[in-house]
Amino acid sequence: MSTFDLKDRTAISGVGDTEYGRPLNRSAIDLAAEAFGNACDDAGISTRDVDGLIMSVGSPLGVDCDSLAQMLGLDLRMYSQTWTHGRFTATCIQQAAMYVAAGFADTVACMAALGSSGVQAGLNPRPFNTDPFAAAAARDEAAREGGGGHGQDPVYGIDTTDVGAALVARVYFDRYGATSEQLAAVSIATRRHAAMNSGAMNREPLSLDDYMQSPLLATPLREPDYSLVAEGAACVIVTSTERARDMRKTPVLISGMQPLPVGREEFIWTYPGFGVAQQERRAYGEKLQPVYKMAGVDHSAIDALFTYDVYSIITWMALERWGFCKPGEAADFTQGGRIEIDGELPINSHGGLLSEAHMFGWNAQVEIIRQMRGECGERQLENTEMMQWANAYGDSLIYRR
Amino acid sequence: MSEPYTKMLPGISNLNRPYWEGLRRHVLTLPECDDCGLIWYAPSPWCPKCHSRNFKWIELTGKGHVNAWSELKGTHATLLGAPTDGLPDNAVEITLEEGPRLISNLVGVEPGEIRTGMPVTVVYDDVAEDLTLARFKPA
Ligand SMILES: [Zn+2]
Repeated sequence: MSTFDLKDRTAISGVGDTEYGRPLNRSAIDLAAEAFGNACDDAGISTRDVDGLIMSVGSPLGVDCDSLAQMLGLDLRMYSQTWTHGRFTATCIQQAAMYVAAGFADTVACMAALGSSGVQAGLNPRPFNTDPFAAAAARDEAAREGGGGHGQDPVYGIDTTDVGAALVARVYFDRYGATSEQLAAVSIATRRHAAMNSGAMNREPLSLDDYMQSPLLATPLREPDYSLVAEGAACVIVTSTERARDMRKTPVLISGMQPLPVGREEFIWTYPGFGVAQQERRAYGEKLQPVYKMAGVDHSAIDALFTYDVYSIITWMALERWGFCKPGEAADFTQGGRIEIDGELPINSHGGLLSEAHMFGWNAQVEIIRQMRGECGERQLENTEMMQWANAYGDSLIYRR
Repeated sequence: MSEPYTKMLPGISNLNRPYWEGLRRHVLTLPECDDCGLIWYAPSPWCPKCHSRNFKWIELTGKGHVNAWSELKGTHATLLGAPTDGLPDNAVEITLEEGPRLISNLVGVEPGEIRTGMPVTVVYDDVAEDLTLARFKPA
C-alpha cells in the first residue's frame, strides 16, 4: 500500500522554549505552559487555537497531556503521548503531521517539558535525577523483562543508559582503530556552538587537552562525552502548510519523514549489523532511505544535520547510519572542523544535548526552525535551505523552507 | 551469606524461571528452537527468528568471549551526584559460544586487563540464599 502524499503538506509554524538548567525549581507544567505559550506567540496564534497536543516523555519526569489540557483550559480534539524517555521526537512530529493532513486536528502542539518533579509531587524541589519517582521510573525500564532499552541490566549493577553507549564506543574503537582524541572532536564542536548560544548550559570552551584530561566515566567515554541532564521545555506547532503561510513567521515545511524502526537487529545506540546486543555482525549497506526518497533529495542537499547526541559516540553512529560516511569513517569525517558551523556539514549548531541541554531532541527542532528563518545571530548558518533530523536509532525528518 | 542482599533482584517470570532456576543449580540454560536451531536470550514465548513455538531448554557450555566492555569509573548517574559505591568495576557484553549475548560483569581481572575478544567462562555467583548470577572470568 502506498502512503498518501505528505511531502510538504504540513509545516512547523511556531516554536517556543524556556530557560534550560538543573535544578530550575520549577514544575514541569509551569515550564510546559511557558514553552507552549511562546510557540503560540511565535506562530501568531492564540493558545485557544490549538486543538491537538502530543507530549514526549510525560509524567513523572514531565507532564501528561490530560493534566496540561485541563489546567490550561485547552479544548483538544486529539492528544497523544510517548513513554518516559527520549527518542520519540520525530515520532511525535510525524504523528502530528499525519493527524493534520488527515483532518483530525488543525493545530497540534508537540513538546517535552522536564521539571523539578519534586515540585510536581508536592515535595521539596529537587532535580529530577534524585527524585524518587523519577529514579523509580528509570529503574523500572532498566529492570523490565528482557533488559533495558539501552543495554542496561540492573541485576549486574548496570542501570544507566551510558553504559550501552560505552560498549558501542569500545567496539568501534577496537574495530576501526579510532581514538579518544578523534572522539573529542564531537564534543569540542558542540561546545564551540554552545559558546554562541546564550541559552546553553555549558558554554566553556573545550580544547583537546581539556578533553583528554577530563575524568573517565564508563570507559572509553569521558565527562564531555555525556549530555547535560536538564530541566526546561521546548515546543513546536504543526499545521498545514497552507495555514502556516498565513501565520506570523516563514513556515518550515516537513518535506521528508522516516519512522522509528525496532527489532532484534536494532539497538538504540547503533545501526543494524554493528554486532552488539542481539544484532548480527554483518556489513551495513546503507540504501537511499525513505526519508530522502520522500523529500526527493540525497545527502548532498542537506545543509546541516541535527541528531540526538546524548553521548558523543552516537553522532558518529548517526553519520554512518544515514550514509554521510561509510562504517568506520565517522572518526575521520568529524575531524578538522567539518561538523562545526563553518564546516562542510554543521551538526547541532545550538550545542546539542551535549552542550546546550538534554531536552530530548526538542531543542534541536526549535534550533532547526530558527536557523531556517535566519534568527540565530552569532551562530547563524549560511546555508539553510534544507536540514535533517536523523538519529543513530533510525528515524528522521527533513525540513525545507 | 547472612548479610541481606540489597541489590536489584531479577524479575522472575513464567518465561525466564528455568533460566534463573538453572543458575541456582549452576547450569546456564537457554531456549533452543526445534525448527531453526536458534538459541536465544531473553527467554520468550516463541523463537524470535522463525516464530516457532517448539523449543526446549538446553544446557550451554558457559564459554564465550568478551564482545564489548567498559570499566566503570562512573556513570551518568554518578556524574549527577549518585554514589559510586555499589557500582561494579566493569560492564561486559559476552557473546556465548552458542550465539546469544549477555550483559554481565567480568571477575578475576585487574583494571586495564580486559580485552575485546578475550575468552571467558561463566562463574556462578551465589549472591543470596536463593539467587545466583552468571558472571564471567577469563578462560
Ligand atoms: Zn526458530
